[in-house]
Amino acid sequence: MSELAIRRGAAPALAVNALGYLYPQAPAPALVDVSLEVAPGEFVLLAGRSASGKSTLLKAACGLVPHFHGGEIEGEVRVADLDAIASGPGELAAAVGYLAQDPETQVVSTTVAAEIELPLEMRGDEPADRARAVEEVALALAIPHLLDRAVDTLSGGELQRVALAAALVTRPRLILLDEPTSQLDPVAGDELIWLLRRLNEEWGVAVLLAEHRLERCLAAADRVVAMEAGRIAFDGAPAEFLAWSQGADPPLETPAARLFSLAGIDPLPVGVRAARQTLRGMGATHPPNRVSDPHPSDRASQLEPALRAKNLWVALDRGEDLRDVLKGIDLTIRHGERVALMGRNGAGKSTLLRTAAGLHEPVAGKVEVGSVALLTQNPGDYLVRERVGDELAGDQGAAALRVVGLEEKVDADPRDLSGGERQRLALAIALAGRMEGELLPGLVALDEPTRGMDRARKGELVELIRRLAGDVELVPPGETNSTGAAVVVATHDVEFAAEFAERVVLLGDGVVIADGPSDEILSGGWYFATEVARVLDLPGVVTPEQGAAALGEGR
Amino acid sequence: MKSPFAYQPRPRPLQLASPAAAVAYLGAIVAVAFLYSNPLVLFAAGVAAVAAGLLAGARRAVRFALKMGLALALLVTVVNALVVSRGETVLARLGDWPLFGDVTVTLEGIVAGASGGLRAAVTIVAAAVYSACVDPDRVLRMLRPLAGRSALTASLVSRLVPVAAADAARLRDAARLRGPGAAEVGRAPLARRLLAGSLDRAVDVAATLELRGYSLDAPRPRGRHARSRYDRRFYAVAAVVLAVAIAGKALGADDFQTYPTIEIGLDPATLFVAAVVAVSGLAPVRLSSLFGHAERTRQAEVARV
Repeated sequence: MSELAIRRGAAPALAVNALGYLYPQAPAPALVDVSLEVAPGEFVLLAGRSASGKSTLLKAACGLVPHFHGGEIEGEVRVADLDAIASGPGELAAAVGYLAQDPETQVVSTTVAAEIELPLEMRGDEPADRARAVEEVALALAIPHLLDRAVDTLSGGELQRVALAAALVTRPRLILLDEPTSQLDPVAGDELIWLLRRLNEEWGVAVLLAEHRLERCLAAADRVVAMEAGRIAFDGAPAEFLAWSQGADPPLETPAARLFSLAGIDPLPVGVRAARQTLRGMGATHPPNRVSDPHPSDRASQLEPALRAKNLWVALDRGEDLRDVLKGIDLTIRHGERVALMGRNGAGKSTLLRTAAGLHEPVAGKVEVGSVALLTQNPGDYLVRERVGDELAGDQGAAALRVVGLEEKVDADPRDLSGGERQRLALAIALAGRMEGELLPGLVALDEPTRGMDRARKGELVELIRRLAGDVELVPPGETNSTGAAVVVATHDVEFAAEFAERVVLLGDGVVIADGPSDEILSGGWYFATEVARVLDLPGVVTPEQGAAALGEGR
Repeated sequence: MKSPFAYQPRPRPLQLASPAAAVAYLGAIVAVAFLYSNPLVLFAAGVAAVAAGLLAGARRAVRFALKMGLALALLVTVVNALVVSRGETVLARLGDWPLFGDVTVTLEGIVAGASGGLRAAVTIVAAAVYSACVDPDRVLRMLRPLAGRSALTASLVSRLVPVAAADAARLRDAARLRGPGAAEVGRAPLARRLLAGSLDRAVDVAATLELRGYSLDAPRPRGRHARSRYDRRFYAVAAVVLAVAIAGKALGADDFQTYPTIEIGLDPATLFVAAVVAVSGLAPVRLSSLFGHAERTRQAEVARV
């Protein structure tokens, strides 16, 4: 039993002992000899790359593994003293709540109130008890105004809160969350993490949270467990985790920790506050303001427009009446530009891309665009055949596969490709026939391409985006960047945007509220700002490399 | 896009009433449509169904249902006019038609068809109002103690239908976004993909139901479900409508004959039944808003004076 559990004098909220698990027909086990304890009231962050076993461990803790997925399991899992392997998810429901990535499939009722009340009703609680519990959990999660709403009218963030409320309404001792912020904008994501921390502190519910964007939640955690190939590779305090990841698994480093390690500053900070305290303690002074060089808009202004929206209005049917989603957008994006399209859920990012691709008709104004290749949020929707070569036959298909670097995978089954490869294949399908020889279409648009991606895969995507845009560093000698497409990426991931984008367009409720160089936009706010920008608060400094250089100048 | 017939919670009496009361009320209107053939009473039932939907805020559902119902009524009328040659008032002799044979269009055939079509339209509008105003979750809960497994299946299906519809829309978009150089998406691969995706979704939704404890054989809570203050109103209106309709039928209020000539009874009993049925459409009205409006008007007049 862990030290914290002994100190609190209670049985662990979760106790996993020598757990091994193999999915049906899987070549390798998903979990190998995993032993872990989560004390009551503890907030544990589960880190690790994609397919490292995080989700499987969470599913084992709530009984979905093996009861729903089958497979072979060994070892022991106990949740609040219940045997999770012998009991099904239904029996564990009172002791453990589970929240998965996709809120869409986690609601089963028509209205919010009915959804939250359902677990209590299934348990046989009295109507008066149910009413009180629903009211209390709605107040705790700040959603009482949603109780009478239909679930299909909620935004992603609201839906995620409702699913969380349904998981919490039975007052479980443990709540399991599998990348709950992956579909949320930075504002809703931060709100959710701090809401969890508050519930953890006030209700005493233990939290086991799997996340890729560690910078968002490391400061809220009591402890970090890192997984690697189905095994626990690290288990300790957040600060120790940062020191470990620096040597053992650098992609798990947070931007602030990377900033400090590049600048040679100790100790590595677990969050913005700790970083600022350390810098203040060192007496670090603010260096002079940096100016981005070369200024992207100067370069961009010399290129041909790939997309031009003039007073663009788009209205969508949201069930009752038409609602204006885009409200008079004026925007020009030129060949070779790498643009991040950002904004809150429902701001109109996807609608703008879909309108450019011809899926929506403007109700007023116009959008002038040449050939557009759009990759939507679910790359799997593009894959309908059982062989890559069958999806992309002929010269045009082969050219598209070469652009995304999958020419060697012609005979593979798309289902056997990795997540990143499947995404690139879907992009190749969108590109095929829209290129003239090896020339890319005018506009390549990606809608939320980093959902569920670890940092290593995001790095590969950044490289692909730069290649698509004809970035001078990646174009072979002798070629120019005139073949580059305008690449527009709708994303909530500010760190990713800082890596790939030279320009950021920020939408708010259907209008452009900011448009400028990424260094400027991503360092000029609080929510739509990188962790490094929040630590240093210096105009134009958004990445760890820029931050380390700036600190070097200031010291 | 959300279906116009999808349930939408609103703070209106019909939505706030218990499902049994709402079903009794709308069922009474449909029962009248099946009990009577007199066009006046059928029209009154149609007026009641439309008024009920509008007062419950289901404007879009009513509009779509009216379009569907009237299109169906027109179809029934045309087919009946072409197929049935009975009746003394011949409007046209169209000769021999393939399948139909000797086609003689009569006024009586048209009116008989229109009467059947009107009945179908009333049923469609009432069903649309039910669909848009009665919470399916509450209906399933009502049924759960009676048939647990069926209720579970219905819950799963009721959730999967909108999810599958959204998936299908997404797949169609992805098919449109494929480059012209990519292999074309035939219907079969698309259907296969949708089916495979739906099975995955079904597993996810079933897992969520399992996590919520749906499979538990939990004891039924003591005490009754919270009832609505509007239940009595809807039960009472349903009872009055049914009682008047049955009594009227017994007293010969449904005097309507199409062949060989049209005879429509408009005696006081028929008029009374029609009036009661039509007025029953006002049952979902919010009295507080009516009185509130009257009070506001009175205050405005006082202020003017």
